[in-house]
Order: sequence, then C-alpha cells, then structure tokens
Amino acid sequence: MSLQKANYFELFSLPVSFQLENAQLEAAYKKLQSEFHPDKAVNADDRTRLQALQQTSMVNDAYVTLKSPLKRAAYLLKIAGIDAEEHNQLHLDEGFLLQQMEMRETLESLIDDEDLEGLDAMKDSINKEKTSILAHFETQFTAGEFVGAKSTYNQLQFVYKLLDEIDKAEEKLLDY
Amino acid sequence: MALLSISEPGQGKPQAHAADTKVAKKRAIGIDLGTTNSLVAIASEGHAHTLCDHDGHCLVPSVVHYAADGKVTVGYEAWLKGAEDSRNTISSVKRLMGRGKEDIHYDLPYEIESAATGGMPVIKTAAGNKSPVEVSAEILKTLVKRGEDELGGELEGAVITVPAYFDESQRQATKDAAQLAGIKVLRLLGEPTAAAIAYGLDRKQEETVMIYDLGGGTFDVSLMRLEQGVFKVLATGGDAALGGDDLDRAIIQWMLDAAGISDELSYAQLNSLASIARHAKHALTDSETTEVTFQHWSGTLTREQFNSLIDGLVEKTIKACRRVLRDAKVEVGEISDVVMVGGSTRTPRIRERVSAFFGAEVHTEIDPDKVVAVGAALQADVLAGNKYGDDILLLDVIPLSLGIETMGGLMEKIIPRNTTIPVARAQQFTTYKDGQTAMSLHVLQGERELVSDCRSLAMFELKGIPPMVAGAAVIEVTFQVDADGLMEVQAKELSTGIVSSVVIKPSYGLEDKDIEKMIMDSYSSAATDKEARALQESRVEAQRIIEALESALLVDGKSLLSPAEYSRLEDGILQLQEVLEGGDSDAIHEASEALNEATLEFAGRRMDSQIKTALAGHSIEEID
Repeated sequence: MSLQKANYFELFSLPVSFQLENAQLEAAYKKLQSEFHPDKAVNADDRTRLQALQQTSMVNDAYVTLKSPLKRAAYLLKIAGIDAEEHNQLHLDEGFLLQQMEMRETLESLIDDEDLEGLDAMKDSINKEKTSILAHFETQFTAGEFVGAKSTYNQLQFVYKLLDEIDKAEEKLLDY
Repeated sequence: MALLSISEPGQGKPQAHAADTKVAKKRAIGIDLGTTNSLVAIASEGHAHTLCDHDGHCLVPSVVHYAADGKVTVGYEAWLKGAEDSRNTISSVKRLMGRGKEDIHYDLPYEIESAATGGMPVIKTAAGNKSPVEVSAEILKTLVKRGEDELGGELEGAVITVPAYFDESQRQATKDAAQLAGIKVLRLLGEPTAAAIAYGLDRKQEETVMIYDLGGGTFDVSLMRLEQGVFKVLATGGDAALGGDDLDRAIIQWMLDAAGISDELSYAQLNSLASIARHAKHALTDSETTEVTFQHWSGTLTREQFNSLIDGLVEKTIKACRRVLRDAKVEVGEISDVVMVGGSTRTPRIRERVSAFFGAEVHTEIDPDKVVAVGAALQADVLAGNKYGDDILLLDVIPLSLGIETMGGLMEKIIPRNTTIPVARAQQFTTYKDGQTAMSLHVLQGERELVSDCRSLAMFELKGIPPMVAGAAVIEVTFQVDADGLMEVQAKELSTGIVSSVVIKPSYGLEDKDIEKMIMDSYSSAATDKEARALQESRVEAQRIIEALESALLVDGKSLLSPAEYSRLEDGILQLQEVLEGGDSDAIHEASEALNEATLEFAGRRMDSQIKTALAGHSIEEID
C-alpha cells in the first residue's frame, strides 16, 4: 500500500468535508500506524526504516491536522486553493474586532483580580461562541463561499488564541 | 556458571531456553538502566522474568570502578570498592548523562571536569578520563552479557528504559552508550510506559493510569492515558531529591534522639546506622514492631511510630501527584489504575496513603524493583518480531517542546510537547541582509519563552546560501523526531533549487567518530587475565562474607552470642582480612569457606529469632 494520496482526507479514507466522523478517523489512524510505524521495521534495512519514519511522521501530521477543527478548516481552505494564513487582506468584521478588544480587556482585569471563577465563566461563553463560528464555517465552506469561509477562519483564530490565553492564565494563577 | 532465573509472581513460570523450543525465536532483552540499580529481563510468549547472578542478585548496582591498571569492575563488586576508593568508583552516572558541568549543583564523591569540546563533563579516574556515556556503556555491557549467557547467543537488540522526562540530550547519551556497548537499541522506552506494559495495561481499551515511582533517591510520578492503543504521557512530576534514603534518614534521626546521641559520628558509624535503619524499615514491612540496636543502646520501633516519622515525606509525594493531575487537567476519580514502582513502595504506609488518595486499584503484584525491566523485556520481545496474541502498538510523545531561537532571545516552538512521535515539522526562514550567504540556527528544548530558560541542544551554521537580495532566499528547516524521541535537523535553500542540507546531532550527543574511537579503545584494553579474574572473584566473595557477618553482628551479635562466641567471629573476620591482602586466590577461597562454616550456628539463631519476631504480632489462631 502506498501513502501517495491526493490529500490527508483520502489518506484516512474520509470524504473531503468539514464534518468528520471521529471514530472513523481514529480507526483509520490506528490502522495506518500499525502498518507503517518504525517499530514494525526495527529489523529492516536503513532505507526501509527511513521510509517508515517519514511515512509515520506524515500520518501523525495528517492526524493532528484533521483532528483539530481549526487546523482542519485551514487545511480545507488550502485544498480549495486559498492560503488561510495570508493576513494582508483580512476581511474581519469591525464589530467582531471591537468585541475581541473588549474581551481582552476583560481577560486582563480578571487576571489582575486573580478571579478564577470569572475566568471559568468567560471560557464557557467563548466556547459557546466557538461552536457557533465553527458551524458557520461549515455552512460557508459546503456552499463553496471560500472567501467568506476564510474570514470566518480568521475569526476562529482569534477565538482559539483567546481560549489558549485563558488556559495559560489559569495555570499561572493555580501554581503553588 | 549457571544463572539463576526467578519468575515474577503473576508472570508465569520461567520459560525454557527459547533457543531450545523455537528455532525462529529472536533473542532480545529489556534493560532498566537505573540511577542506583540496573536490571536485565527477558520475555517469551507474554511472560517475562529478570535475570540474576549465581548468588541470586538480580539488581546490578549502577556502579563502575576503574583501577589504575585499567581494569573495570561493574555492579556489586564495584560498589564494594566505593568505601575505600570512592574517587575511582562511579555511581549515579545517570544523573550526568546529557548534562553539562554547569548542571551539576551537588557534591559527587568523584571528580569531574568540563570536557574540552563542551558537552558532558568527564570523570577523572585512575584509568584516565571517562565520559558518562562510557561509564553507562560498562553497565550496559554487564547486563548484555548476562542476557547473552541466558539466551545462548548474540542478541537481536535491547529495549532500554529512560525516565519520561528525559530530554533529547539525555536520550541521545543513552543511545550512544548502547552503541558503545555494542548493543542495538530496538527502542528507548519511557520507564512509566514500561511499568504499565508489565501489568498489561496496554491491552485495555481506555485507561488513565498513574505510575508512582519511589526509588532510592528519586521520586517520579507520571500520568498516562491509553486511547485506542496509543499510550500517551499526559504529565510528569516528582522530586529529584526524595526517595527511600529519606525514609532511612528519618529512622536514623529517631535512633539518635532516642539514644541521646548528639556527638559527631564517624563515617563507619554512620554507615552502620544506615544499615540498621534499612533493616528496621524492611522489618516493619511485614511486622508491627522491630528491635533496633546501636552500640550499647537498643529500642523498639513500632510501625505506628515509623508511620508518623515518614508521614511528612509521604504527604510530599501525594502533593506531587495532585500537581500532576492539575497539570493534565485530570480529576483524581478518572484514574483507573495506579502502578507502584521502586523498592520504597513496599512500605505499607505509602501503599495505604496512595490507595486512599486515588481510590483506584493499586498494583503491587510485580516486584516494584523489577517491574520496569519486565515491561521493557515484554516490549523487546514484540519488537524483535516474536509475535503473540494481539498486536499492540505503543505510541510515545515528545516530553518537551522543540524550537529555535528567534529575534530578541525568544524561543519559537516548532514541535510542541506531547506531540505523538515520530514527527516532522518544517519551518521557512529567509535572509535579512542583501548578499547574505550564511545563517545560524540555535535549536532549543523546553517550555519557557526565554532562550536562557531553555536547554540549548545545538547551534549550527547553514552555509552556501546563494547571494541574493534580502528576503529572496528561502531556507526550509525540517525537524525530524524519531520513535525514540531523537532529533535530526535538516536545512535546505529552496528558491534557487540549490540544496544545501545539514544533519546535526545535539551538542551533548557524541559524534559517530568519537564513539568509534571509544569502541577501539575498549578493544585494546579488553585483554583480560584469567588468573587476575579468579583472584578478583575470590576477593569479592570474601568481602561479601565479611560484610554480611559484620552487619549481622551489629544487629544481633550482642543479643544472640556469648562474648566468647562474639570475639571468635570477630577474630575470624580479622584472619580473612589478612589473607585477603595476599594474592593467593585459593587461600582466600579456603579462608572464606572456613569463616562461613563458623557462622552457621549464629545464622541458625538469627533465623529462629526472626521467626519469633515475625510471629510475635500474630495470635495463636492465625498461626494454626
């Protein structure tokens, strides 16, 4: 079996879509790992072992890419021929940006007050927002509105970053 | 000499020589290369056992002695030399692996100095400077030899365990030591993963397990999750300066207080105190009270007293467990199994507290000293290609993030920690000056933002970039981490199609040519003299008898022997010590036998007294 596939979805025998059957991804990942992992080639020649190393690295990368909704979104845009990381023409809604700035200020004051409960509550509300933005991305992408989908993806990046910062702040505050 | 193999409880009977039963059986061993002790184990058909020497010692002290004539001794023999020749007796070398001299902030009984080339320090011995890799290779050779003797032939390879938190440099140093010892590494395996494998936890569907490893001088705790055949270390923690020795110290302090001793004690007195404390600790594992005698003082230590002496230490380990749970955002109720590793986990109080804290199944069925080696052997057997049952695949993660230095002394992560390995990540860079033809890259490992807080793995310069205007050259740097957690970095210039590629190894690793030289060096000094070996063996035997008798006299001599009997045995020791000075191996052997004979009566009385003590805590009904 060759790992030369058109894209990561095909590698895992999955349809190219934002909707993902988690169980199917896990099963396919496990199957590929058990076939190509370097542990299966400890007694093989150097060339075969190098191949196993490279193939498994790719399988791992593919798995991580598809598993994370944010990375999956960027990857789908890439398949559609759109560079999601290109920021010089951001089409972000002004209202969204203002909201983001407010949230950052809220975050900073919660950190200053060492308000762990407040941080938890903020995380909950941002997680809800994340779910709705992800749904929006899926609708746009499925309809082929790639430019709109890219702008939604850029919003997602903000949301994920904010969640990450809340986590870091909580860790810092909890440290004893 | 025949090696005695001991089967692990719950692991089935030791298998017959694999070579006899199956022609195609591939020979592989599992090695637990520990800080204090090391072990080797073999497995077949899902059952593993550790290999012991002719005296039934399975643990090989991780100690190497270098004599001025170049003779190298390893293990128990080397450990015995520690008292008289500490400068040439290298212990705890694992702490030096992949570390620079600047990392060593504690006293060592031997002398180290910075290596000329940077990297790991060298240890000054009577036989010349030795790198920590060379010292570890000596320990590995001893273990490999034991495996070869048992399996009857050359080995396919070994699985060697490393702590979960071992970084790139420490893993590389371990692998270099294996290469130097002439053994192929099938896989470097995390110690907690090995312990989980020993208990077959890798065969369950979805589990969150805690590995509680309290060794002689270190405490490690690792939280692992098994999902769909992927074993992942979620978080690790512990205390590099907490272990069984601290339990002994608590008893020593109690003895000194109770006996009212406040004077400065000699090295020998401290040594015997330590040995008495160790005996008391072991005795309290099975009985409720134990008698302790030091010089003219004697007293009774109850388990309850002992518990209160060590509760503070035990609480410290529980606190470390809490912290690890929090790091991984896992609730204590999610833990389904706890695996106990390390000799100190035999202490009943520790088992009680751990079991109470986790409320989960606490595994102690496999000897906690051997469980890591057993897991390594099981994995070695599978990796060597001996299939049995379902095929399980272990996927490891990288314990610390890898990245490079960017502008302003900041570390930019390229592969975050806990990424499943093997993994490859590429990052593109460009030139910032017109006509720039070289670019230097600084590879780092760690979680902190500042370069100065991370471990520097390598610095290298990428040369031969075609001169272009700033920003036109595109250099792609690829980090490749293999299944052992070892890294290679490659850099390529892409824009012109001119490919200049470098492969680097971390600065604490050794160059292949260094390893080659070390292998050649070891061949030239390997001419072993049979007679010298016989003499050495008889001396070791004699020293063992003396040691054993001295410590028995200390503990029970006053209570079980008449003064005349006592001094007769003391004289026997002196006589044997005299013969020991000479170079006649037969005479030493005879004198040893004689002293051994003379101690038989004493040994019998000790046995009786121990049985009495053991029975003292039980009612008649229980015994009937």
